[in-house]
Amino acid sequence: MKELDPLLHSQLRLAIMSILMNVDEADFVYLKEKTESTAGNLSVQIDKLSSTGYITVEKGFVGKKTRTVCRITERGQDAFRNYVETLKQYLNL
Amino acid sequence: MIDKQPTERESLEIITSMINRTKDRYMLGDGNILLIWGYLTVAVTALVWILLALTHNNAVNWLWFLIWIVGGLATIRITRKHDIRKGMKSYSDKLVSRLWTAAGCSGFAMTALCLGFAFSGIDSWSAMFVFALIVIPLAEIAQGIIIDERSFIFGGFTGLAIGFFTVCCIAGHIVLYANWYLPLFIIAFVCMMVIPGHILNYKARHQK
Repeated sequence: MKELDPLLHSQLRLAIMSILMNVDEADFVYLKEKTESTAGNLSVQIDKLSSTGYITVEKGFVGKKTRTVCRITERGQDAFRNYVETLKQYLNL
Repeated sequence: MIDKQPTERESLEIITSMINRTKDRYMLGDGNILLIWGYLTVAVTALVWILLALTHNNAVNWLWFLIWIVGGLATIRITRKHDIRKGMKSYSDKLVSRLWTAAGCSGFAMTALCLGFAFSGIDSWSAMFVFALIVIPLAEIAQGIIIDERSFIFGGFTGLAIGFFTVCCIAGHIVLYANWYLPLFIIAFVCMMVIPGHILNYKARHQK
């Protein structure tokens, strides 16, 4: 049986990817609220996903505040689909 | 949520839970853009109608440009604020945004064309009524189908029916006199934008 992608096989990273699979883009505040995570932890996991090329991160300004917007890449979508397929095999679904 | 390795069963639960949390829901203020364009069009139409009746001066028709200027600026401001408050853009948001951008661009093209005709001494401004009551209702019907909102579909079809009537009048050389056509135009925009805008905001306020 295929191994589960170690980058996705983590609670928070999987949650981020699940959200981004469902929306066109989401900002940091939205991701933090939906995943119920801390800002520091979320930031680290976003960096990991971004450095692997699974998501893109765009930092901009809204007035004087920064706004970080995340989007899933095609590579990220493929990785997520493969993860779900492998998961189905593990769970005999 | 912490960065822990889940079991396979937990992974499935996380995916399901996140999908449920990102389900598209109405948000308070979703109907505001529609309300701005609706009320603005109604107000400008009423103003043009009254001034035409009082002054009989065709120059008051330049007031129609207020719709583009005020509506365009308000849309940019409201959309930006709304996107930030919502924190995300769903695929249907993206689709709807592109749909209205296309409708807006075709409106600007139509206005430019009518202006060109006007400078050549040809009055083609009634074509703008056709644009307002054919292109806009079609975009609204499409949005209603995308977001599954019946009031948009009904409102859009009402506008479209008045649009078809307008086309028939123009084709039949029936003059669109302000005293009967402008009230009809106001009714179309109330049905197309004002009512659906309020319905959307009401739903956003009362959804569980």
